[in-house]
Amino acid sequence: MPKIKTLFLLCMLTLLLSGCWSKRELNELAIVVALGVDKVDDEYEISVQVVDPSEISTKQPSSGRSPVVTYHAKGKTAFEAIRKMTTLTPRKAYFAHLQVVVLGEQLAADGINDTLDFIARDHEFRNDFDVIVSHKSTAKEVLNVLTPIEKIPANKMLNSIKVSQKAWGSTLSVSIDELVNTLSSNTKSAVLTAIEIEGDTKLGINQTNVQRIKTPVILNYIGLAVFKKDKLVGILTEEESRSFNFLNGKIDSTVEIIACPKQGKLTTEITNSTTKVTGQFKNSTPQINVQIDVEQNVGEVECDINLTENKTIQYINNKTAELIKDHIQKTLKTIQQNYQLDILGFGEVLHREDTKKWNEIQDDWSTIFPELAVKVDVRVATQGLGTMQNSLLHKEKE
Amino acid sequence: MPNFENNDTSRPNTTKLPLFTSLSDNIQAIMTTLGNSDDIIVREITIGKTAKQSIALIFIDGLSDTLAITDFIMETLMLELEDIPEVQLGKANEYLKKNCLTICDVRDISNYSTLYSSILNGETIILFDGLVTGLSASTKGAKDRAVAEPSTESVIRGPRESFTETLRTNTALIRRKIKSPNLWIKTKIIGEVTQTDVSIMYINGIANDKIVDEVLARLDKIDIDGILESGYIEDFIQDSKFSMFPLIYNSERPDVIAGELLEGKVAILVDGTPFVLIVPALFTSFLQSAEDYYQHWTISSLIRMLRFFGISLALVAPSLYVAITTFHQEMLPTPMLISIASQREGVPFPAVVEALIMEIAFEVLREAGLRMPRTIGPAVSIVGTLVIGQAAVEAGVVSAVMVIIVALTAICSFLFPAYGLSNTVRVLRFPLMIFAAMFGLFGVMFGIMIIILHLCSLRSFGVPYLSPFAPLILKDQKDAMVLFPRSSLLSRPRLVSKNNTTRGHKYSAYKKRNTD
Repeated sequence: MPKIKTLFLLCMLTLLLSGCWSKRELNELAIVVALGVDKVDDEYEISVQVVDPSEISTKQPSSGRSPVVTYHAKGKTAFEAIRKMTTLTPRKAYFAHLQVVVLGEQLAADGINDTLDFIARDHEFRNDFDVIVSHKSTAKEVLNVLTPIEKIPANKMLNSIKVSQKAWGSTLSVSIDELVNTLSSNTKSAVLTAIEIEGDTKLGINQTNVQRIKTPVILNYIGLAVFKKDKLVGILTEEESRSFNFLNGKIDSTVEIIACPKQGKLTTEITNSTTKVTGQFKNSTPQINVQIDVEQNVGEVECDINLTENKTIQYINNKTAELIKDHIQKTLKTIQQNYQLDILGFGEVLHREDTKKWNEIQDDWSTIFPELAVKVDVRVATQGLGTMQNSLLHKEKE
Repeated sequence: MPNFENNDTSRPNTTKLPLFTSLSDNIQAIMTTLGNSDDIIVREITIGKTAKQSIALIFIDGLSDTLAITDFIMETLMLELEDIPEVQLGKANEYLKKNCLTICDVRDISNYSTLYSSILNGETIILFDGLVTGLSASTKGAKDRAVAEPSTESVIRGPRESFTETLRTNTALIRRKIKSPNLWIKTKIIGEVTQTDVSIMYINGIANDKIVDEVLARLDKIDIDGILESGYIEDFIQDSKFSMFPLIYNSERPDVIAGELLEGKVAILVDGTPFVLIVPALFTSFLQSAEDYYQHWTISSLIRMLRFFGISLALVAPSLYVAITTFHQEMLPTPMLISIASQREGVPFPAVVEALIMEIAFEVLREAGLRMPRTIGPAVSIVGTLVIGQAAVEAGVVSAVMVIIVALTAICSFLFPAYGLSNTVRVLRFPLMIFAAMFGLFGVMFGIMIIILHLCSLRSFGVPYLSPFAPLILKDQKDAMVLFPRSSLLSRPRLVSKNNTTRGHKYSAYKKRNTD
């Protein structure tokens, strides 16, 4: 056979070899938006929340079917359970658009490493989804709550975590990559946002949950869950979570309430906060300096106070700084004394500061950390008063 | 009017037979050769009051202007002519030519081949009894179309004239724009049977002599019985017979042709068609419109970039849709994926079949709209919009996104000023869709790479097709993807016009000073 013909034939054959190895039509996919992992008697129970695309579409009027469907399967490993699920699901589960992974409380207490391995290893999972922990309920129950407005509950969970991190500061969006990095670190410990079901757990599954003006069952973020190695050990309160985020530099905006000189309250809106954590060795005794610069506006005044005076602004600044500092120190105490876990990554800061000295104390870090001196310095600057100057309560004395 | 043609030497010498002496023999011979066709008119008359001379006028009805023959030949010869002094000397023809015929172009005829070509071009032949030399008087007067507005390349601002089917009108339209003695025309007769006039036009001193010679040489090589449109010529002389990309530019606008001539290109005009060819053609020419040069350069630049964007979209939009929805769903934002998925619920075909159905349906509609009698046109559009667009989506046969993609592709493919390239792009969409269906984005990239490699390998009359992009010529970028202000466009494309690349006197002088 002439050479050219042979070559041509070979080229044609290579086209056949490749085939359609990963061709999947859109209507062959079950788009998974949320994944829940629970542990039930040594077995993993996997729950997936799958979108029913025709229910989400705005074109057709809703037929009353639920916009998402959950499937549950048990298996000795997470992967097995997921594959087993194909016996239940009409289509093969597609995980690339996963929004959120919910780890059950029981599983979290027993250790999450084994589960995370599959999630981080599988090539179909993207690595931009958030990981959260369920509190006082199983992940299965969390995934079985329908949410109004956001038809897809997974979207609600993801949005809430991001919005509240931005505007309130009690939650922390942790992606799978960050989580795996933290877990593999020797010194640092992990935190994840904890979610709670408010209301009767069993009712959330019902369509009536989204039909009422007041939603009976609500998913609510309560704060940050603290992990020791890969095991859940406790949950920081909302206040502690916010202070944690201050220390972490994750606060974008939040509010603080300070007391007025005489009586009443004044609320300030924090618009910007930058945190600088530096390490220091004083005669091989490590010390951490935290410098927090806060910018704020006056948000709400419920007392008689003259805001047009410089002195008053000074007072507000000092009072807010004091308050934040106080909260932070209390939180630090909880973290250092109660949990004794370096969830803030102070060890890494010291490591960066002075590798040699760090290497000397590295092995004793778990004993050093609870006694570690942390110097907190908060500086507050009030930028604006809002759209009015003095409160209605304030009558200027002529 | 000066005569730029040199007809006699270029006509094929098939029957170089001399004329007979006897008038009746000549008429007999002509009538036999032309098959006694009914539209041939032979008028035998006798002229001169005293010394009489029998002559015959022969012309073809419809090709010649009968009024001119009556007024300027018959009337003069039959009524006003007193006497012919040279009759005895056998020089009646000379006398008539010099003194009687009030017609511009009169030539001697001494053999049958010139006689036939003259008569078939609409000239009137005058044969003299007893003489072997006749006369041909230019009385061309076939019906032709008036100069009208261009129908394929419309502009908002710019000249409103377009070429017609008559070669002479077309050359005149160009000459009216370029009044330079250096605008040269060379004419050839091509087509053994049709004997079509094909003229090449160029500006001497600006056009590259090698390209002019090459055009003439390629035209000489054409061996065919007939040329009915410039497309025939285009097919014969282009560099690659198998490339789908148009390697010769054509236009029906005199201003476009004049602009190209000023860049040093060569125009080929064919009698019988308003489409004038321009060589060498560059890929960018097909994405440029005459109006680019008539409006503000910033707007023209933006519109040109829009066209480049449009050609990319027209080429890859359906294949990207197929590739992303069947292979790379993770690339879509989640809300968009769910939205597309909800539309595809219940669609019975794979995305690629869906895409092929819709694209082919669109091609059918387009072609039908083009070929249908004008009065049925609206019916096609109703069927197209209602049946293919709305009903198909409502019936759940195709998804709404697919209709959007097809519409987008269609509109983008209408964006090109030059129709030739848009055809190519529309055809190439289909192999790309197949590639996308087999290998996803990898296949699309593979297809695009093949297309680009192919484009890089193309030459139009020796000039790289993709220049000034590949090879990259920085100076010529001023008039490629973007357009610089007129005042800075002082150089001609370097690869086209090699000898004379500067456009104004001042700039030439400035350049000369710098190089000296």
